[in-house]
Amino acid sequence: MPRPNPDTIAFTIDGLEVNAPAGMMLADAAKLGDVEIPVFCYEPKLGAPVGACRMCLVEIEGIPKLQTACSTPVRDGMAVTTQTARVKEAQEAVLEFLLINHPLDCPVCDKGGECPLQDITFGWGPGRSRFIEPKRHFVKPLALSPLIAIDRERCILCYRCVRFSQEISEDYQLVLQERGAESFVSTFDGHPYVAPFSGNIVELCPVGALTSQPYRFRARPWDIEGSGSVCLGCPTQCNVEYTVRDERVLRVLSRQHDGVDDGWLCDRGRFGYQSFHADQRVTHPLMRVDGELVPVGWERALDEAAAALMAAGAQTGAIAGGTTTNEEGWLLQELMRGGLSSPNLDSRQGGMLPRALHAALHAPSLQATVPDLEFAHAVLVIDCEPVDDAPILDLRIRKGVRRNGVQLAIASSRPSSLDANAQVVARYAPGAGEAFCVALNAALAESDAGPGSAGRHGIVEELADAAGADAAEIRTLAELLRGDGDVRDVVILYAERLTQGMRGEHAARALLNVAGRVIPADYDGAGLLEVPAGTNGRGLREVGVLPNAGPGLEPSTLIGLDTAAIGASAAAGAIRALYLLHVDPLRDLPARRTWRGALRRADAVIAHADFLSEGLWEHATIVFPAESHAEKEGTITHPDGRVQRLRPAIARPDAVRAEWNVLADLSARLDHDPQVLSGPMASARLFEAVPFYAGLTLDELGGRGVRWPARPGAASWPAADMGPFGLEVPPHAPTPNGSLRLGTFRSIWAAHEVEIAPALKFLRHAQRAELHPSDAERLGIAHGGRVTVGAHGSQISATAVLRSSVPEGSVFVEQGIAEDSAAELDDGGLVEVTPQ
Amino acid sequence: MTQTILFSGIDEPGLNTIDVYRRRGGYESLRRVLTQMTPEQVTDELIASGLRGRGGAGFPSGKKISFIPKVNVDKYLVCNADESEPGTFKDRELMQKSPHMLIEGIVIGAFAAGANRSFIYIRGEYVEQADIIDAAILEAQDAGFLGEDILGSGFDLSLVLHRGAGAYICGEETGLLDSLEGKRGNPRLKPPFPANQGLYQGPTVINNVETLATMPHIIRMGGAEYAKIGTESSTGTKLVSVSGNVRRPGNYEIELGVSSREIIYGLAGGPPPGRDVKFWFPGGSSSPVLTKDDLDLAYDFNTLAQAKSMLGSGAIIVVDDSNAVVDVALKLAKFYKHESCGKCTPCREGTRWTVSMLERVDSGLATPMDLDIMASVQEQIMGNCLCVLGDAMAMPVASMITKFRDEFEGHIEAARARNPWGPGAVAGGDADPVLIQGAVGA
Repeated sequence: MPRPNPDTIAFTIDGLEVNAPAGMMLADAAKLGDVEIPVFCYEPKLGAPVGACRMCLVEIEGIPKLQTACSTPVRDGMAVTTQTARVKEAQEAVLEFLLINHPLDCPVCDKGGECPLQDITFGWGPGRSRFIEPKRHFVKPLALSPLIAIDRERCILCYRCVRFSQEISEDYQLVLQERGAESFVSTFDGHPYVAPFSGNIVELCPVGALTSQPYRFRARPWDIEGSGSVCLGCPTQCNVEYTVRDERVLRVLSRQHDGVDDGWLCDRGRFGYQSFHADQRVTHPLMRVDGELVPVGWERALDEAAAALMAAGAQTGAIAGGTTTNEEGWLLQELMRGGLSSPNLDSRQGGMLPRALHAALHAPSLQATVPDLEFAHAVLVIDCEPVDDAPILDLRIRKGVRRNGVQLAIASSRPSSLDANAQVVARYAPGAGEAFCVALNAALAESDAGPGSAGRHGIVEELADAAGADAAEIRTLAELLRGDGDVRDVVILYAERLTQGMRGEHAARALLNVAGRVIPADYDGAGLLEVPAGTNGRGLREVGVLPNAGPGLEPSTLIGLDTAAIGASAAAGAIRALYLLHVDPLRDLPARRTWRGALRRADAVIAHADFLSEGLWEHATIVFPAESHAEKEGTITHPDGRVQRLRPAIARPDAVRAEWNVLADLSARLDHDPQVLSGPMASARLFEAVPFYAGLTLDELGGRGVRWPARPGAASWPAADMGPFGLEVPPHAPTPNGSLRLGTFRSIWAAHEVEIAPALKFLRHAQRAELHPSDAERLGIAHGGRVTVGAHGSQISATAVLRSSVPEGSVFVEQGIAEDSAAELDDGGLVEVTPQ
Repeated sequence: MTQTILFSGIDEPGLNTIDVYRRRGGYESLRRVLTQMTPEQVTDELIASGLRGRGGAGFPSGKKISFIPKVNVDKYLVCNADESEPGTFKDRELMQKSPHMLIEGIVIGAFAAGANRSFIYIRGEYVEQADIIDAAILEAQDAGFLGEDILGSGFDLSLVLHRGAGAYICGEETGLLDSLEGKRGNPRLKPPFPANQGLYQGPTVINNVETLATMPHIIRMGGAEYAKIGTESSTGTKLVSVSGNVRRPGNYEIELGVSSREIIYGLAGGPPPGRDVKFWFPGGSSSPVLTKDDLDLAYDFNTLAQAKSMLGSGAIIVVDDSNAVVDVALKLAKFYKHESCGKCTPCREGTRWTVSMLERVDSGLATPMDLDIMASVQEQIMGNCLCVLGDAMAMPVASMITKFRDEFEGHIEAARARNPWGPGAVAGGDADPVLIQGAVGA
């Protein structure tokens, strides 16, 4: 579906001739002529208007009745008036009606001062009411969910929240019950409204009917300041505005950016801010003295860290977590490569990709953007569950399917929440992403060549079998991507896990072959879009936090160890010091057993952390306090290449220092002074160091960021090996044979802020093992029963969840949770599941 | 009266069965349509007949069908048998006594519109009628008048009867569509009109039972011949449901254009002896009331519109001088308040407010100034709502206040004189009238 490109038309509003795109709703078009038409129910983000509140009535020449501006598209030559006595009368009438059942408790209402109903009443209202009857009453406030309070008396029944639930997040939970003036918003059965995106309804509510439980009564609009930044919670990097009162973040609002988030936030991003101010936060440098971590001064901590790193020298390994900024990543690689001559640093979770493949996967010519998901003809999601891996993209995909008829295909091991919206759903064995891509490539080759072609007969069947997939599904998928022969905008969204691990390189080649067959080079609106494992995964690679590439993916003179190898070497004693930038290997990385050994054996474990999770609490020798998301300064790079600027919203508490400062200081102590004396200086040095960032400035980034692949500097992107490649025959997925194939996933709620933020604590959950009812029956497992999942001597406990959508022969357990994490087990192998 | 069309032989025993209906010439129009006519010709006949929708809005029916886009998508015909307008019960009799006439009309209408799926949305209270129609649908299917390749013409039509669950708003055409789709029955924003995007987003014709039942007769007589009946702008005959204070309430088929007095006094026998018509609703409870001075108005669409009322669904409710206008207004307002869906502001809040004010008027807690407010509230509702439900209350209530202002004022005075301390005092309660006036508590 091509992007709309409407003609410009001219219409008059209140006598002023205004140009507007044809088809734009009058309520929006009026703004182009500096005329404001008041609205309550109209919100373009929610899709088609409903015309319920009747606030936007205007007079249009030639139409006898007043018309709702929210639902009337502008046409050439239309003459609109908004200031006549008739319009004024109607506006006053609607406001008088709206207020008769509104409690007018503005002095104690959270919304007071930033309330559209208040503002519009002042601007357009009659100023007095003739209503003296008793008002309608409801029990109030009620907890719509642990996060949201509902005051039904304040509700003006604009339908916004219900439409969000029904048409945007498609969780179908909110409905209106009863009729007429007794109508109220509720879930159908009175269940709490718990959903990944529920918090958006608070922001949508034009009155104080839906309020945030954590923000209730914490501040009034005149107490607070807004400060724009970017959420570091996940790779979608939504643009946010922190509401700050006295150096505390009290609320997170969306800062709408259509190129990034479309104006929505997930609940983790919206309510996780409470963790910034948690008591457990590390606010001083800590050092292990006699087995205990104790607060020490900065000088001592930095000296000791420098000494430990000096002692280990090139036998130091560094890992950067996803929330590391570009500047910090660049400084880390300066510290490692320049200060310690150690190439052992990585920001990926394991498996090294050749530079030319990195360059190919993110080549500007093959790069899709977030809005492309909404306007493509077809979107293929491979090995990715958007709602968990990049929540806001889930909404974007739903929007594309619902409004623009995007054809969606899902290829994954675990059932996806988007399955219901997809035209084609293909399942494959956990860990068999490579085999699936190879099979899809073969199916596309077959359809390219036509029947009876050179391709070996039955090859698709063989490869599908290796992937544990169904050949017919793969062929249907190939047909969908091909369409009817015309050039189609195809966007392939894949998660980084596809290209991780031992065979990641082969999977990347197979993916590039598929892309080469369905995505024309240098074609706008089509391409690949990766969801990195970490928030700034893309940026960290681009600034050189890779064992085999320096800043700008320049070849590195020494090839270092990747994450998995660092862990293994440290466990074997070959790596003596570990530098952990925003990462706890026991918490965030696979192969927990290896890492436990590594942390135990290393002479020094130096970490930057805001909280002491298990691995750091037990094994760190020095901990530098890390900044919270709202304190950070610098830049990060969005998965589609948009460099976005982080701006500090609050001051750093206690002894917390800027981390660029800590890294630069440490580097200088190792006789490699990066010459960085301020945050902007760090950014400037970074932009100089990365050729395709050349010429960027913080001013240019501003509040919206800049997509570097769309700048001239993109020409400096390193040479890529785009294929097509000769592919190896992938290893056959293990045959369950009585055991189950182990698949892992990381849920949206598996994050430390969910464990720490009081508001989100209710969303923590213990390990669950998802399996098919027939497997459960065979193994004697009941829904909700406790089970042990294990192989090769390691095991975890879990609660069994029977889902008929889970493929038979597979079991799925969760990573990234505090206890019984799937990281104890090896992904892609076979496990025994036994009832306890 | 000179001519009955729909009610001709309506009381013949067994007319609800296909055999009797066919013996009386039933399904012959359908045979002619399917074997000798094109959809365009059928539409042209309907346009030539001047038939206007019998459900309430009076929109030309042939024109409505001609709005259906000639594109190759699923199209629908929906028969609105919700008949929920108070005072209206004509469709009930038609469906009960001659269900096949409706089915034949539906097939003809669907053929003209190019629709292959049709639905009858019947109000839930019509249990007996629904059973009769269900049986008739089976008969028609067995006889080959419904289903695939009807009468060998290659035209397919499925017909499904859907029972409503008792909401007035589901008689509003777009609310009906939402309800039929299984959603909450709320009216939709128009445009898009159902002709373009109706049921399941497909082009949809929605017609009243009586409208559809008339179609076989138009085909039989020819559109031009049908147009000779009635007046120039209101052709044909109309079923009127006369109720209220008359001696012979019931359904009557009249030629449009006869005098209203002839219907109310001639056919229905007028009010009981010794009483006089005080006012009457010419077209269902949502039409502005007319008084006894208007009894000589011709009963047709245009004349009633000129009298600032409307023919509506053809339901005449007669109120004689033994009733208080306030009682009627309050009863009416309560009905619309109860039935307001709550989607748009003026209707949701305006109906509730009007009921509260009328209750105060009734109990003597109002002043004449409240009548001004009430009249102004009706003005604020009219024309500003999403659908016509709000107007359906505002129009009659406003007309009653205008035409019977003195009686309203007298009612307030009398109630206050009867009970100076408010209604709470009568009930022996300790309610403080000041408190009630101060609007505290529910």
